Amino acid sequence: MSCKETLRTQSYLDGELQGVDATNLEQHLQACAECQALAADIADLSDALRKARRYRAPDTLRHRLTAQLDRETRRASAKSFWVGVASGGGLSALAAGFALFVLLPPSAATLAQSVVDAHAAALTAGKTIMVASSNHHTVKPWLAAHAGISPPVADFADRGFALAGGRTDEFAGNRAAVAVYRHGNHEVDLFAWPDRGAALPQAGMTRGFRTEFWKSGDLDYAAVSDVDAATFRAFIDLAKSQRE
Amino acid sequence: MDDRRRRFEAQALPHLDAAYNLARWLSRSPVDADDIVQDAMLRAFRAFDGFRGGDAKAWLLTIVRNCWLSAGKATRRRGHTSLEDENLTAPDRDPEESAIQAGTKRRLDTMIAGLPEEFREVLILREMEDMSYREIAEVTSVPIGTVMSRLARARAMLRETAKDCL
Repeated sequence: MSCKETLRTQSYLDGELQGVDATNLEQHLQACAECQALAADIADLSDALRKARRYRAPDTLRHRLTAQLDRETRRASAKSFWVGVASGGGLSALAAGFALFVLLPPSAATLAQSVVDAHAAALTAGKTIMVASSNHHTVKPWLAAHAGISPPVADFADRGFALAGGRTDEFAGNRAAVAVYRHGNHEVDLFAWPDRGAALPQAGMTRGFRTEFWKSGDLDYAAVSDVDAATFRAFIDLAKSQRE
Repeated sequence: MDDRRRRFEAQALPHLDAAYNLARWLSRSPVDADDIVQDAMLRAFRAFDGFRGGDAKAWLLTIVRNCWLSAGKATRRRGHTSLEDENLTAPDRDPEESAIQAGTKRRLDTMIAGLPEEFREVLILREMEDMSYREIAEVTSVPIGTVMSRLARARAMLRETAKDCL
């Protein structure tokens, strides 16, 4: 190794370089045989590692955790009962706060929270897919029948995002059709719901999940996933390129 | 269900597989991984009021890693058990997968498991959990520059070993 740009080449492949930094590195890559070889090696290794196993929490552990959290929750609520008796007015203040919350229309920020909540809840329950199929001719009509809307659904397996199936989901008062994609060990959810003129949030990161929202035709869309930034960007580009 | 429990289930629990995967690769033992994750989730739940939003996955994995460290040397000595267990993801059981592919996968697993800890963890977090350098730095409590150099070293070591095996 003699080239001093090898670490930056690695950063580029890991999706850590943006804008002019990325452009500069791309120019360097065209000229440097050592970094080209390194890039090919890292990509090969990455491919192989995506096939290595990502362990999943066994069901027995899940059940033990639930029981453990139940015990903890009971202990905590026994404590808070006495705190509540002592402090009196706390509950009514809480109720007032809650009422205010439900009366307000969902803000853009709430929308991002809600869509991540929906994605996370489905992941937690292991119920991200209600209809399992890699065939868009199966998924699209299922979504049309169950969600009442018919967003474009395509398989991007050749671009690294294999269509795994679909589900319906509810968030922030919307009934959404969700197309579910797999990328290696990760999942990307593509939500679609009728556009009612709501303002959409900026792309961002909520609790470890990336989100991006956009409007197309008479539908609003949101993509949610915990893949890295560059992969997420590639998916968004693919999703936006779909024809209705 | 109380509010804290609900928020915990919505924010931390979706990263349970990531927590288990990290614990499993660090400890290299299904039994220890179970204990570490159970300990970590309980600690996370108790500390959850102090979690002010942000990156729940990095936060949780930091706790998992700390639990693994505090589980200490006794746990790690027991760690060198078989890599086989029943908790494979569905795609791993693909019936169309050839015996050759399965063999390659097993060799790859052994190679990763053979990496020194500090290199193994950055590789797992980057390649399996798709975390950014900043997130990996947070979880492993080292500067981003160290993450970059360890990742480069981990990849170089795997490449060297792979030349002979794969």
